[in-house]
Amino acid sequence: MFAYYFKLGLRNLRRNPVLTALMVLTLAVGVAASVSTLTILHVMSGDPMPHKSDRLFVPIFNNGPLEDYSPGDEPNDDQVSYRDAINMLAAGPGERRTAMMGVGGSLQPERKDLTPFAVTGGGPTRDFFAMFEIPFRYGQAWSAADDKSGADVIVLTRALSEKLYGNDNPVGRRVRLEGFDFLVTGVIDTWNPIPRFHRIVGMGPFDREDEFFVPLTSAVRHEWNNYGSTNCTGNAGPGYQAFLDSECTWLQFWFELRAASERAALQDWLDGYAAEQRKLGRMPRKAHNDLYNLTEWLEHLKVVGNDNKLSAWLAFGFLLLCLVNTIGLLLAKFSVRAAEVGVRRALGASRREIFQQFLTETAVVGLVGGLLGLLLALGALSLISLQSKQLALVARMDWTMLAVTFLLAVAAAVLAGLLPTWRACQVTPALQLKSQ
Amino acid sequence: MEIRPILSALLRNKTGPILVAVQVALSLAILANALHIVAERRAVAQRPSGVVAEEEIFYLQVSELKNQPTFNDMVASQARQRDLLKAVPGVVAVAQTNQAPLSRSGNNTGVSASPNQLKVTTGAAFYVSPDSLIRTWGLKLAEGRDFLPTEVVDLDMNKDAYVTNVVIVTQALAHKLWPDAGGYVGKTLYFGTGKDAEAARVVGVVERLQSTSAEVGERAEMSIIQPIRRVSKPRAMYTVRAEPGQRERVIKEAEDALRKDAGNRVIIRALTFEKDRQDRYRADRGLAWMLVTVSVLLMLVTASGIVGMASLWVTQRRKQIGVRRALGARRVDILRYFIVENVMITSAGVAAGLLGALALNHLLVSTLELARLPAGYLVGGAALFLALGVAAVYGPAWRAASISPATATRGVV
Repeated sequence: MFAYYFKLGLRNLRRNPVLTALMVLTLAVGVAASVSTLTILHVMSGDPMPHKSDRLFVPIFNNGPLEDYSPGDEPNDDQVSYRDAINMLAAGPGERRTAMMGVGGSLQPERKDLTPFAVTGGGPTRDFFAMFEIPFRYGQAWSAADDKSGADVIVLTRALSEKLYGNDNPVGRRVRLEGFDFLVTGVIDTWNPIPRFHRIVGMGPFDREDEFFVPLTSAVRHEWNNYGSTNCTGNAGPGYQAFLDSECTWLQFWFELRAASERAALQDWLDGYAAEQRKLGRMPRKAHNDLYNLTEWLEHLKVVGNDNKLSAWLAFGFLLLCLVNTIGLLLAKFSVRAAEVGVRRALGASRREIFQQFLTETAVVGLVGGLLGLLLALGALSLISLQSKQLALVARMDWTMLAVTFLLAVAAAVLAGLLPTWRACQVTPALQLKSQ
Repeated sequence: MEIRPILSALLRNKTGPILVAVQVALSLAILANALHIVAERRAVAQRPSGVVAEEEIFYLQVSELKNQPTFNDMVASQARQRDLLKAVPGVVAVAQTNQAPLSRSGNNTGVSASPNQLKVTTGAAFYVSPDSLIRTWGLKLAEGRDFLPTEVVDLDMNKDAYVTNVVIVTQALAHKLWPDAGGYVGKTLYFGTGKDAEAARVVGVVERLQSTSAEVGERAEMSIIQPIRRVSKPRAMYTVRAEPGQRERVIKEAEDALRKDAGNRVIIRALTFEKDRQDRYRADRGLAWMLVTVSVLLMLVTASGIVGMASLWVTQRRKQIGVRRALGARRVDILRYFIVENVMITSAGVAAGLLGALALNHLLVSTLELARLPAGYLVGGAALFLALGVAAVYGPAWRAASISPATATRGVV
């Protein structure tokens, strides 16, 4: 019976073509608006490492001067100072630890046909690669000894490696960066987490990618400046060493714990560390020390901006309007068929069957609207991704969203059809037949 | 007017009218807020930067590939590069600088009116230049003077501390620091607070110069300039003002001149003020574009809803209309009936919509930190939807009025 009703529904699309077209179009536009904004929100708020996001932690100390502090104030930065980074790298708990700065400079290719160009990348420690499970195409990460000695070693991304060496394996070759020769130890394969959580501060969650990585110790040995956000509350004094010794915050730090349950222990360790530093005359604010896991961190940095939430809300308001509109149009469409219902009821159809038939017909409208809405959403998303690189990164339709589109459209249409369908069933056969 | 009979007819068959009213209410609530946000974003994006002729300004970030250059080398090289740029035909002015307004990245500092304050008065964008930014960017001096060439300090960032003690501030910053002062030249501002705070004397006040982030609110105009050449690496940034319409050519020739001078061992990145402005407000424009699209669609959907429902009512009431016409009602009476009916429904929707708009705005203000909705949007929105309602119902109402009594009453039981 369902198949028959379905066919009937398809055929009835051609009945009152204007009304039906209006209904399908309204539904499609509503679905397209909500699905395209929802897709962007969905991609933006994605968890880039769902299997270990509860084991990755960012520590933040409230390490500003006492003068402009009143109890309860939030820390004035989202990074840590060099001193704290070094101390935590050396003695902190957890399975892995890394601190990261931004590195940028000039790269002189060996190939004579390439002119020098500017590159930007990160300066982490060795643990970075294992912690974030970065896949390698060639070679591997640098060694712990390289970290220790601040050796000039470099890991290239696939894109930079292909630019410099084509498809050749460059491990063992040298790259001239800022006038120094760096030994290539590995090339990472395509690694494109969204949001780019590992170095959001200074790089942005949906912005450019790192092109290479060198050891933090090497970048510091060359006295390179941080390519990213640097926040100094006091006067650091001249020279690089003074900068390293200062309370300026400019490094992002990550802990990886063996289990999420070790969080309390890590918090205790941080509190103990801060107390120890206080004895040395640092961290005068005596404030609490914050710990964020990966998802909390993304939330704290407001990766999904208010504007995105606003868009999604408005789009859903719009979908609601479209549904109300559809209810009205369905009411109109069904009400002119009272005679048909009367005849069918008189011939023995139960109310239940009428209900099923009309609801199926509604579902057909929803299906067609959903299909069209999907096409419109795809169009809207490709339009959006033309706007900028950042948007191109987040305006991507995935299979989950595809399924959601259909469900949303059909569910919306069926929901909208409930009232008109119920009204259609209320027809009294006798009255209808009499008036014929 | 026959308001009473129309009302009682409406009340007997409520579903349709309620649906139309709900549509009007929803649309009005969303539309008023959406247009308000669009207008607000536009106003933010159109704030003047203080730089005249933005379309003539560009920047060159130049890094030379030199090993272990000395400080004097680097200073000499920068002076030479500036002379090369000045020599390019079509160049009006050149200034070395550290950052650009609206570029979304740069140096900021905290300034205070007195070192005894607990907190700095405000953060400010920190521009430095050994040349005249006032001349190059065409900033307008409201008071005082530009820096003198003798006041320029060459600073080796790797070993020197700041030593200069003169500063140019924006009017907004000066007013923020000294709200009660009549004039600002000669006043002393402090970088930071406490015993380490460095003092600097105000020699000039520019009308306006936006910060690198061009934040929303007063912070956008908190900027200072100091006459410093900061050197730490063989890198420099120059800002150039070209003659009107010459920018693209000048950029190309400037790049060529610098490249030739450095024997190609140089990386040059050219940027324009326009591009920075575009990037700064890209998100706002995107949002505004989306809101306008949604608003247009809202109107279309609502109008189509009204047309659809009105058409349905006309069909349902063919017989009544025929009877009324046969009993002497004129066409205009029928037309009026439908329009009055629609105005009543729309008014109910508009009333609910006004409440909805306020409620939605309250929600947006409290959760998304948006601004309050001015009453003008409510009045305008209400008028818009009443007009839209009449326009949408006019077609079906006209069709109803054209029903001839004879055909309509034929076959009446």
